[in-house]
Amino acid sequence: MASAGSDRRSESADVLIIGAGASGSVAAKHLSENGFKVVCLDQGPWVDNKEFAGARPEWELMAQKRWHPNPNVRDLENDYPVDVSESDVNPLMYNAVGGSTILWAAHWQRFMPSDFRVKTLDGVADDWPFTYEELEPFYEEAETEMGVSGLAGDPAFPPGKPLPTPPLPIGKIGMKAAEGMNKLGWHWWPGPNAMPSKPYRGRNACVRRGTCLTGCPEGAKASMDLVYWPTSIKNGAKMITGARVKEILVNDKGLATGAVYIDRAGRERTQKAGIVIVCANGIGTPRLLLLSTSKRFPNGLANSTGLVGKRLMMHPYAAVTGVFDEPLESWLGPAGQTIQSMQFYETDKSRGFVRGAKWQVMPSGGPLGMRAAYGGRPLEEAWGANLHRNTKRVFGRAFEWGIIAEDLPEETNRVVLDPTLVDSDGIPAPKLIYKNSENTRKLIDFHLARAQEAMKAAGAVSMTVTPLMRDCGWHLMGTARMGENRETSVVDQWGKAHDVPNLFVYDGSTFVTSSGFNPTGTICAVALRCVKHLIANRRDQEIAA
Amino acid sequence: MSTVLQDDDRKTFAGIADVLIPAAEGMPAASEIGIQGEILDKVLGFRPDLRENLLRGLRAAKGKEPRAAAETLNKTDGPAFGAISLAASAGYYMDPKVRKLIGYPGQENRPYNPDETPEYVRNGMLKVVSDRGPIFKPTPK
Repeated sequence: MASAGSDRRSESADVLIIGAGASGSVAAKHLSENGFKVVCLDQGPWVDNKEFAGARPEWELMAQKRWHPNPNVRDLENDYPVDVSESDVNPLMYNAVGGSTILWAAHWQRFMPSDFRVKTLDGVADDWPFTYEELEPFYEEAETEMGVSGLAGDPAFPPGKPLPTPPLPIGKIGMKAAEGMNKLGWHWWPGPNAMPSKPYRGRNACVRRGTCLTGCPEGAKASMDLVYWPTSIKNGAKMITGARVKEILVNDKGLATGAVYIDRAGRERTQKAGIVIVCANGIGTPRLLLLSTSKRFPNGLANSTGLVGKRLMMHPYAAVTGVFDEPLESWLGPAGQTIQSMQFYETDKSRGFVRGAKWQVMPSGGPLGMRAAYGGRPLEEAWGANLHRNTKRVFGRAFEWGIIAEDLPEETNRVVLDPTLVDSDGIPAPKLIYKNSENTRKLIDFHLARAQEAMKAAGAVSMTVTPLMRDCGWHLMGTARMGENRETSVVDQWGKAHDVPNLFVYDGSTFVTSSGFNPTGTICAVALRCVKHLIANRRDQEIAA
Repeated sequence: MSTVLQDDDRKTFAGIADVLIPAAEGMPAASEIGIQGEILDKVLGFRPDLRENLLRGLRAAKGKEPRAAAETLNKTDGPAFGAISLAASAGYYMDPKVRKLIGYPGQENRPYNPDETPEYVRNGMLKVVSDRGPIFKPTPK
């Protein structure tokens, strides 16, 4: 176990935050600068960006194991296993200070206004307890904190303020894709990325190395260990790493009093606190709430509705990869997104489904990554002289239109505790039960057909279609949904649990619907909105003595 | 099973690696760049998790004709074939001579001027998109 800040292990904190990913980091910074005594528990370590292999020849080799986003593949001590035997999609995450922002692609997206009103507009799922306009100021503040780069004026969103730094270059791949979209008269815009194009608040500018998904060696990408924690530690927040939380404690009044965790020496510790905020992602959060059973809460904490763990949404991801006759330097970043399209985002019921998807162009990496899909194919197809021919034909000349499909919340898609699988501390592991709906399948089919048209218009000479990528579950949402009705939601619009007045959830678990966008921008904005409300109402907040 | 690479293991690896990555299309064979020597050691240093499957495959293939051995492993022992083929291809594409031949500088730092007006703005490509106007549905009143 390692800790930063003074040793206050036996002291009670004003606020205990569980998980140092996107939402927990936002909360810790704002609470600590407003005088709260904050302790944060994270099961992972600090990561030194010198560890990232992006600038070294072994980058792609390491990407397939040490820096793989699937915890079941990576299999580090700080990871917990996830049973995916009944899931169409593998969940992706990273467990360390910074959470999954260590490995995220830093696509910075706002949701659209319609995303908060899908029941009203499309008659499906539920409306959020607030509107785009109510969240907008928090998007703006989060964008400033994160140092987002991009270009204002995207007609897919209501007008807003310019982003803090200019857009990153879209490269030859972005230009090629944009030419195709213009031929069709379809929307595109340079993609906003949470990586500054100029040095920003102690971080370096993005250098387009294109290795964002395996960690940024430049210290440019907005990962929370760099964006928020230096300030939080300076403000007095205490970070306890290697701390795997096994249970949130409650007193006889039904208030949360802290948490029990296991340190890396195997010792059981207790951290007491007046308020507990769970920020352990859409799988880790319901896992912990379900683990926290007591006489008063026999079905898990904050789970009187039985909704904890249900309505899991993970954004099925499909892609069309196009190969071009000309060299496109398609290993160059950002990776990250170069351009995006929301041409088919909003519902058009004549298509036979509701909601839509965001598309983005991403680079295709180095020569080894191209080999990853060849396992099990006949030798001559993938190897021998064909290896060289394929490399010459495809390498540096291909890019992908990726499609983030909005999946609607369904109670059958869920996180449960696995009856047998445990992590390295013997704590029950999560199991996912997750199947794509008919709406999702129709949505993906439609978008794949349009993306092929876009590739053709851009001049692709050949294409590969991936209808559903199994390793795509970056976006973990919905498993402790927010709402004003305590019978149909787990937390209120401020993240406060209906059942436990000093227990909060700030991560993507609270999402009512998934949108078709990368969710981290909205996770940050929602966490910011929640924590500012908590700070403003601190005098009325009930706490454990 | 000894987990130390023996000379025989390296010889078997070189044979299979050359089946997977032969001299063709102007590219060198894997053994020509010394895949079975320091390169293999380097790959296993980065990825010790490959060692067990790789060695099992190599020892099953020892003394057999390399192409037939590779075919058999591909059909009967996916993890072993996966480890051998990954070690061969990763080592190959990490080599500076190979990278030069395929025109890959590695994941390089590429300077740019963030204040320069992007080409798609200068040439009007983006203007046609904004000129079409908003495409989002506003929040219903």
